[in-house]
Amino acid sequence: MKPARRIVALSAAVLLATAGCAGAESGSSGPIVVGSVNALSGAATFPEASQAAKAVFDAANASGGVNGRQIQYKALDDKGDPAAAAAAAREVVGRDEAVALVGSSSLIECEINNKYYEQQKILSIQGIGVDPACFTSPNIAPANVGPYHDMTLTLLYGSETLKLNDICALLEIAGNTLPSYQAAIDEWSAITGKKLKYLDATVPYGGSDYTSYIVKARNAGCKAITVNPVEPDSIGQLKAAAAQGWNDVTWLLLTSVYSENYAKAITNAGAGVYVPAEFYPFTDSTSPQNKDWRELMTKNNIPLTSFSQGGYLAAKYFLEVAKGISGDVTRESVTKALREMKPITDPMVGTPYVFGPGQTHHDNTAGWPIKLASGTNKWELVANDWLRIPKK
Amino acid sequence: MLQGALAGLAAGGLYAVLAVCLTLMSRLVRVVNFAQSATGMFGCYVAVFLSVDLGLPMWLATIAGILLGGLLSALLGWIVSTWLAEADTGTRSAVTVAVLLLLISLSFILFGNKPQPFHPILDGPALTVGGVVISQVTVVTVALAVLVAVASRIVLSRTPAGVQLRALSERPTTAELLGIPAKRLSIAVWAVTGVVSTLVISIVAPSQSNDATSLAMLVVPASAAALLGGFRRLDLAVAGGLGLGLIQGAAAQVDGLSVVRYFLPFAVIVALLLWSQRKEVWDAAR
Repeated sequence: MKPARRIVALSAAVLLATAGCAGAESGSSGPIVVGSVNALSGAATFPEASQAAKAVFDAANASGGVNGRQIQYKALDDKGDPAAAAAAAREVVGRDEAVALVGSSSLIECEINNKYYEQQKILSIQGIGVDPACFTSPNIAPANVGPYHDMTLTLLYGSETLKLNDICALLEIAGNTLPSYQAAIDEWSAITGKKLKYLDATVPYGGSDYTSYIVKARNAGCKAITVNPVEPDSIGQLKAAAAQGWNDVTWLLLTSVYSENYAKAITNAGAGVYVPAEFYPFTDSTSPQNKDWRELMTKNNIPLTSFSQGGYLAAKYFLEVAKGISGDVTRESVTKALREMKPITDPMVGTPYVFGPGQTHHDNTAGWPIKLASGTNKWELVANDWLRIPKK
Repeated sequence: MLQGALAGLAAGGLYAVLAVCLTLMSRLVRVVNFAQSATGMFGCYVAVFLSVDLGLPMWLATIAGILLGGLLSALLGWIVSTWLAEADTGTRSAVTVAVLLLLISLSFILFGNKPQPFHPILDGPALTVGGVVISQVTVVTVALAVLVAVASRIVLSRTPAGVQLRALSERPTTAELLGIPAKRLSIAVWAVTGVVSTLVISIVAPSQSNDATSLAMLVVPASAAALLGGFRRLDLAVAGGLGLGLIQGAAAQVDGLSVVRYFLPFAVIVALLLWSQRKEVWDAAR
């Protein structure tokens, strides 16, 4: 991989060098450029967030745009590669002079680019924030809850609603996420006064056989397991438990496994897979909460996933704020408007969205509990309201 | 520790079967087939597609997938034995690296990068040893590994075709001059190993992570296992596969070691290479 990295780095450098000499003129009459940096190719891809944002902007353009100006949306690929993520941000912020970043969804983008956004005085309404920097930077405020609060929520649901003791955590740690997950678990402990039975942070990503971890958890007497998995890994873990005949274990997972595909792949879910969905569950097809989103996604052939919910919401928040700007829509005016915005309430999320002047943005603290039971292959709602992390 | 080790046996059996296939390939057709598990993965994915999207019955789709795995492998064998008949092992093996990458990419393009809804052929526990449940999959993979190794051994030593194959691998040119159908035999070996690896992956894939990359990369621990037998000895390949699985399972039980667990196949490869090359002198080895 080394030479490939070098080539990417080199081309990024070339791009940077040329980016300076190609400033696009964005006057007050041309289109408003909005950008995003996304995992469109690479090991894990989620293209739906930026597709959903684009659908929202296209619909807005069709009905006259923002203050008479069209929105030009540029969704760039970070290829799951730090150098490419840096280059993409510089292309859209530096060369295309975007006024804001909206609907980005990536595994690494916040970590790589947050300092650059601060330098350039540009704000990002992340569609789906994953890495810790998405929630700890002054210039990034994701539309989603994020895996860390989601972890706290799933533990709260397991210990308080399902009354489960002996919860164990198997964490798949990529990069520097361990302290953030640890903080999420500590928050749960602070609220409930309960402790995990044990925490194993050595579970590998993309492992082929998780039997040994499952055996270890079972021998330790775990009644429930919380994991922060990607879909294939979670399927592997559930299958390992099923092969061991461990059918009374409860899985407390995160929105990362909430998909139709996952439900189809799981026949034996032990005592059930529970997830606090970060947005109002999209599998509830008749819900008024998701009606507009569902129609827009279906019309544009965009998969109905949590990612497309995040991208859709990010774009809607941006439009609402941009339409309230009197005068020119520029990077300065958008940044000022987002910093001073009133909270926007949307039935798709449990917490009103506000960018605000904060140094960190980790304020979305509600999930909607859903369950996947054995043999159903379908997600179902198990609550009538949002589950919230109690205010300290 | 023991429980963890037994838990690693399922993976061990899988490594062992693949290691036997790799050893056969290296011995008989002078190729280290990096695409060994990738062809299996692709065959399984097509099987899932046939059963889920086209509504074929499970068993029929699985058999179709296994045959396709064999066909893919045979096609690759045809390419290698047609255009690279006289090339050295390194060159022939390099082709399979390209195929490995091609198959991973192709499965992303055709089936997306989400895990597939496999339906298990075998499911659930078989027996309990020392508090650890041994799953049916484990029993079958371990048995299959031993069975394939023994069967290959018998074929190679007791049948005319086996003798011809051995002649081919020892002295390819002489064998051809004697009128042994080299190409047909080679392709047959490719096809058989393709069928066997697709079969074992079909059995294992439903019970573990089954995205394209992790299935295709099973070739790494399998290579480590095959290396124990120097890519020559089938019995050591089986032992290596099972041993590697046991060690990995045991390592996962100890917090201090579980980080190491993932690098084990690589560590084993390096250690074996260092050991086997210990008497080599620079000039002579190059």
